[in-house]
Amino acid sequence: MAEYQNIFTRIQPRGPIQTVPLPHGDDTRLGGIHSHLFGVIGDAQIGPFYLGRLGLASLICGFIAFEIIGLNMLASVNWNFVQFIRQLPWLGLEPPPPSLGLTLFPPMNEGGWWLLAGFFLTTSILLWWVRMYRRAVALGMGTHVAWAFASAIWLYLVLGFIRPILMGSWGEAVPFGIFPHLDWTASFSLRYGNLFYNPFHMLSIAFLYGSAVLFAMHAATVLATGRYGAEREVEQIVHRGTAFERGMLFWRWTMGFNATAESIHRWAWWFAVLTTLTGGIGILLTGTAVDNWYLWGMKHHIVAPYPHMGVPDPGPLSAIGGTGAVK
Amino acid sequence: MKSMDTIKALGAVAALAVGAVAFFTLERPPVNVVQRGYRGTGLDEIYNPRHLAAQADLNKVPAMLPQLQVGPLAKTVYKNVQVLGDVHVGEFTRLMASMTTWVAPKQGCGYCHNVNNMADDSKYTKKVARKMILMVRAINSNWTDHVKKVGVTCYTCHRGNNVPQYIWFKNDGPPEAGGFAETYTGKNLMIGPNHSSLPYDPYSIFLKEDPQTIRVQATTALPGGDRHSIKQAEWTYALMIHFSSALGVNCTYCHNSRAFGDWSESTPQRVTAWYGVKMVRAVNTGYLEPVQSLLPSYRLGPSGDGPKVFCKTCHQGAYKPLYGAAMAPNFPELYQPAADTTDTGAMPAAAPPTAAPPTAAPPAAAPAAAAPPAATPPAETPTAPAPAAPTRQPPQP
Amino acid sequence: MAMYNFEQKYRVRGGTLLGGDLFDFWIGPFYVGLFGVSTIFFAALGTLLIVYGAAIGPTWNIWQIDIAPPDIKYGLALAPLKQGGLWQIITICATGAFISWALRQAEISRKLGMTYHVPIAYSFAVLAYVTLVIIRPILMGAWGVGFPYGILAHLDWVSNTGYQYLHFHYNPAHMIAISFFFTNALILAMHGGAILSAANPQKGQPVKFGEHENAFFRDTIGYSIGTLGIHRLGLFCALSAAFWSAVCIVISGPFWTQGWPSWWNWWLQLPIWR
Repeated sequence: MAEYQNIFTRIQPRGPIQTVPLPHGDDTRLGGIHSHLFGVIGDAQIGPFYLGRLGLASLICGFIAFEIIGLNMLASVNWNFVQFIRQLPWLGLEPPPPSLGLTLFPPMNEGGWWLLAGFFLTTSILLWWVRMYRRAVALGMGTHVAWAFASAIWLYLVLGFIRPILMGSWGEAVPFGIFPHLDWTASFSLRYGNLFYNPFHMLSIAFLYGSAVLFAMHAATVLATGRYGAEREVEQIVHRGTAFERGMLFWRWTMGFNATAESIHRWAWWFAVLTTLTGGIGILLTGTAVDNWYLWGMKHHIVAPYPHMGVPDPGPLSAIGGTGAVK
Repeated sequence: MKSMDTIKALGAVAALAVGAVAFFTLERPPVNVVQRGYRGTGLDEIYNPRHLAAQADLNKVPAMLPQLQVGPLAKTVYKNVQVLGDVHVGEFTRLMASMTTWVAPKQGCGYCHNVNNMADDSKYTKKVARKMILMVRAINSNWTDHVKKVGVTCYTCHRGNNVPQYIWFKNDGPPEAGGFAETYTGKNLMIGPNHSSLPYDPYSIFLKEDPQTIRVQATTALPGGDRHSIKQAEWTYALMIHFSSALGVNCTYCHNSRAFGDWSESTPQRVTAWYGVKMVRAVNTGYLEPVQSLLPSYRLGPSGDGPKVFCKTCHQGAYKPLYGAAMAPNFPELYQPAADTTDTGAMPAAAPPTAAPPTAAPPAAAPAAAAPPAATPPAETPTAPAPAAPTRQPPQP
Repeated sequence: MAMYNFEQKYRVRGGTLLGGDLFDFWIGPFYVGLFGVSTIFFAALGTLLIVYGAAIGPTWNIWQIDIAPPDIKYGLALAPLKQGGLWQIITICATGAFISWALRQAEISRKLGMTYHVPIAYSFAVLAYVTLVIIRPILMGAWGVGFPYGILAHLDWVSNTGYQYLHFHYNPAHMIAISFFFTNALILAMHGGAILSAANPQKGQPVKFGEHENAFFRDTIGYSIGTLGIHRLGLFCALSAAFWSAVCIVISGPFWTQGWPSWWNWWLQLPIWR
């Protein structure tokens, strides 16, 4: 049943490791094996892997960042490995306290490691980007994947680099760690008056959900027309066959509009790219251009009116001995 | 198709693991929903009725002795009655008996008193108890904005324990490697409120004197010099999660979360909580910190500070302590006497000071009996009636 | 007629699930079918009721319009029209329209000789919606816990419902759902980018095909899941995102009433740490 529904591959032919030639002067590719398990859902061939100098440098930088974060987490439970595993989701590595502003060399135990880990992680990511770009060029392909990757890097840089600089404090940046970064996310919204009222956050979520809808629509269409060879998409682009004719007509008949074999991938690319692009803009504006998104929403008349419920402000809490206390 | 079998096995194991975790960790319907705002806003309290039943059992009011507004004033009968001197002996005895059941049901009178000389102040517990009675009086008389007519008694916090179950000490966290490694962030460990990784000691910051500001949300739409940081917001968030857990309510009990800081979007309970913060601070600085020097070292926290109170000390998971049962009004002596109550001692001295409480008192609960009347008071302690204690009384040595 | 030059040969009779030849025709590019008619009926009625709800409400401001569910006190009963009854009928209309739409997709799939992947995928989105406004309210005993129909109002509901559990990010199913959403966006970008970069190669280069798509991902990340596999993976991630979204909200309330951070206590208390 599942095999019939084009969910699993039924027969796996096995040949030599396949690849396409690289331009002269590139490094050689490494390895390449077959996995029957992988072949059940995807391609059975794993590798060959092209490392190259950029890849090597990127992996080393990423490894350093990973180690800095992990070892600091381990130190926060006093090198107790059992507690490290037990509390792993709770552990984190924090940026410098806001009092240190944009200090380039904060004490190592007060955010210095965070800055160093961020430096190596960013270096790793940027090197990886260059690598993605150059591999595409080396294969004579367009650089669309690299530019989509750049959109994700934009969000990453806004969160950890650009916005903290604009705010004048590394302390505004996201900590490393599973629960810690969730605490940061919630506190970010609390501090800046409800991120749901940030229109770019709305857009980003719409594109994120839209990406899921699009991929479900596209992938389901391709799988449902798999018997006509729909997965050979570039072939369908340059020479439309019955697979994509059916797929196109499906959506035309369903909602009066359809994409084509090529344009559906443009829709896909833009939705995914705009998720992080608009997300990054929304983060960037927070605290720099808008300090309280709910009040911004009030200003622009988007807040839903509910029957009134409020109470008057009793005053600042910092004044001990105010109302209610005996003088 | 060996791979298919592997995939099926993996899928089965994953489903089984998820199912087992869900089954053993989650709750189940039915649940109770209490609407507290306009419909469809999600301003609701969600209760598990089975948890509520268990909670209700933990927050029952203990049996109370009947009031005995009789007898001469305690100061005329007993020596060294510094705080409760102007209370009639019957009432005084009843309170002593009640306090025993509230605070030291196992140890009895001897927990605070030298049973050979009840007037003796040699035990630290007696001196602390004296201070605590002043505290209870101050809370009941001066903090009605928070405690309303419900008030507090020793039982509100103690519940039969020598030390209330829920207290806090300054918490520097468990040992960390220190040195070059990141340290002293005060967070990112499993000990945060509600088991979050949020800051684990927001109390030292917010619930003592000269507190840091709790309000971190910007009050203007556009930037206007508000320098509160996201990290500060995490501390406020941690404190607020304590509030919620302590009261067994969620954030929407006080706030419409679409605008947390906005009073025009908040419930009246937020005002009550606001007074509660001030009260807790006043209690900690005026009563708990001053008794620290009296406490033996085993009563102190890892940093050498004394126990302090926060919301959970009284509330213990209930939105009102003991679910709003008003115990305190049954004990008028737990309110500050009006300024001129010192000379109302004209009550008949008929009832014997040893008037035994009729019910529910442990055998050793007649503390006043051993005190010989009208003996010379101990040295440095005046027999003057208890002053109308200000909320923030300076520490007494 | 709005028809592609290749379209005529695909427009054949039959394949309907219900109603035989009744409504088995096209209007412009749209296929009608019995479920097209029921979709139109539910969608039009629901939309009109929303407009009516806006008309009797305080505002025509599109951002502020709020069609709210009934008060909790009505439980699972019908509420007066202006006190949430509208919301109840609109919910019925929406559910009816969504289910009709899925069945219409199934009919069109049959007509085109396609398997049912699209309607099945779409039912996951419907499931998430039905979970929010029908399953969870039934489990909690009141329609009033459903979300209101309003652009900003539904965001307020999301916010408050999240803070009912103190810190919703600690909801494990929410974590899984978000991870699937992010992964979905990531692989969608990778897939879209791969196809576009193969079909739009470097200047002067011939168009590339599957071999180059594979080579690109093998060179860069060591593995290419392949032209068919990426659609299996994409469908899996997209549907998992919707599924775990439904799980994360249906467990909040019916199966968990406390703060989500404290749920993790079971992990901390596992005997293996002793």
